[in-house]
Amino acid sequence: MYQDMDIQRIGRKIMLMKQNAEDLRIEGAGLPALERNMVRILASLKMLEISIVEVAELES
Amino acid sequence: MITTTPYWNPILETLDMERLQQLQLKKFKRIFKWAYDHSRFHRSLYDRAGISPSDIRSLNDIRHVPTVEKSMMRDIQRKDPFPYGDALCVPIEDVTEFRQTSGTTGQPVYQPDTWQDWEWWAESWAYILWAQGYRPKDRVFIPFGYNIFVAFWAGHYGAEKIGCEVVPGGVLDTAARLLKIQELKATAMMATPTYVLGMADAARNQLGIDPASLTIDKITCAGECGASIPSTKHRMESAWGAKVYDHSGATEIGAWCYECQEQSGGLHVNEGLFLVEIQDVDTGELITEPGRKGKMIITAFDRIAQPCVRFDSKDVIEWADYACPCGRSYRLIKGGVQGRADDITKVKGVLLSPSAIEEVVRGVSRLGNEYEVIVEKKGDTDRITLKVEFLPETQAQRVEIEKELTDQLRLKTNLRYNLQFYEMGELPRYEVKARRFKDLRK
Repeated sequence: MYQDMDIQRIGRKIMLMKQNAEDLRIEGAGLPALERNMVRILASLKMLEISIVEVAELES
Repeated sequence: MITTTPYWNPILETLDMERLQQLQLKKFKRIFKWAYDHSRFHRSLYDRAGISPSDIRSLNDIRHVPTVEKSMMRDIQRKDPFPYGDALCVPIEDVTEFRQTSGTTGQPVYQPDTWQDWEWWAESWAYILWAQGYRPKDRVFIPFGYNIFVAFWAGHYGAEKIGCEVVPGGVLDTAARLLKIQELKATAMMATPTYVLGMADAARNQLGIDPASLTIDKITCAGECGASIPSTKHRMESAWGAKVYDHSGATEIGAWCYECQEQSGGLHVNEGLFLVEIQDVDTGELITEPGRKGKMIITAFDRIAQPCVRFDSKDVIEWADYACPCGRSYRLIKGGVQGRADDITKVKGVLLSPSAIEEVVRGVSRLGNEYEVIVEKKGDTDRITLKVEFLPETQAQRVEIEKELTDQLRLKTNLRYNLQFYEMGELPRYEVKARRFKDLRK
């Protein structure tokens, strides 16, 4: 159940994913399959950021 | 695993008001700074007003940020970076979606979105659809032209995000769409109220199908007022044997509010993604208490290509004075969007909202769905004509129907009308959005 979730921990994992995706997007310059898929992944991660991470940051 | 929570995101949707407001302030400051730093249009607007991001320290400071009107967007577009002009905040190569407004109030406004903005659209619609009971097991039929207007594009992607099976019903005509719904046993649908009623008529009259016999059990309406007008909602729900839910959104704003399964008489503002302020139409003061109507000023916190910061939508809304039993902390706007500030007009010195007429007409069970209102000047006096259609076999009851209609119109609008009665099918039909109120004085 969501009430038992540790959203701070979840938030940290999301931001770690975002950092990895950003690094891969930069590394992927010149490899369209990597670069463009990372753009999409970053967009999805942004949704998690505005939905969960920003609330977790309030609580910390 | 299909989760049983009624919330797409309980972390935001049940966040207490104190923390929600802290979050809103943080997000407003961020989008305001984004617009200030990246948009020549917004920067110029704010510099002329003498306000900058460092001036926003509380929610109360936000009222000093100038509002943006649609006409201002029209003026700056069709220029470089083409075709969006000075309000574009990202490199043009980051724009992946072009849409434009419907043009019913003037020249269309262009709306760019990045892929992140498009993902945000889908996310916004996930809130709506989950609140209305859509789940991965649903087969969602979308009878929409998939054209240049944003309309139900994001509904399609929101339904996919939730995990529904989506059936795109573009290109098919109405009869073919109905047959496809029947064939595939679709469980949900999205359309304007005008089209929902039109499809029901087509099912009965063209195909001999009772729409209530189809497998649709929920319908999401958008695009025009109607689904929050009780008599119109009742007509749609009776016709389809389905729950009908309202949603309001706009091309320039996003998908900002939604009715939930409780159907408690209002729509939840998605306050985690949008800041809604209500402004008195006459004085410009902000209305914070429930029960007073005003026009909506809205900010989308996370839309980056062409930000929506204190956009004057002209939508007329009021806060509800009760909380929804669903448990969301997101406040309700009572009765949804009740009309547009620029649609409300004076007839014979009386303020009239077109939606009040719809409520009356569709509350008279012996009348058809379609109607038309014409306001014109006869000499120095306003004259208002209401055209309605009998249902088949109710013409003999004309005297009683006329009395019921006259009494209800007097009660709800405080006006006398020139009533004209027509047979079913004689009045204009609209495919998607209707224009039933015609003010010839303008």
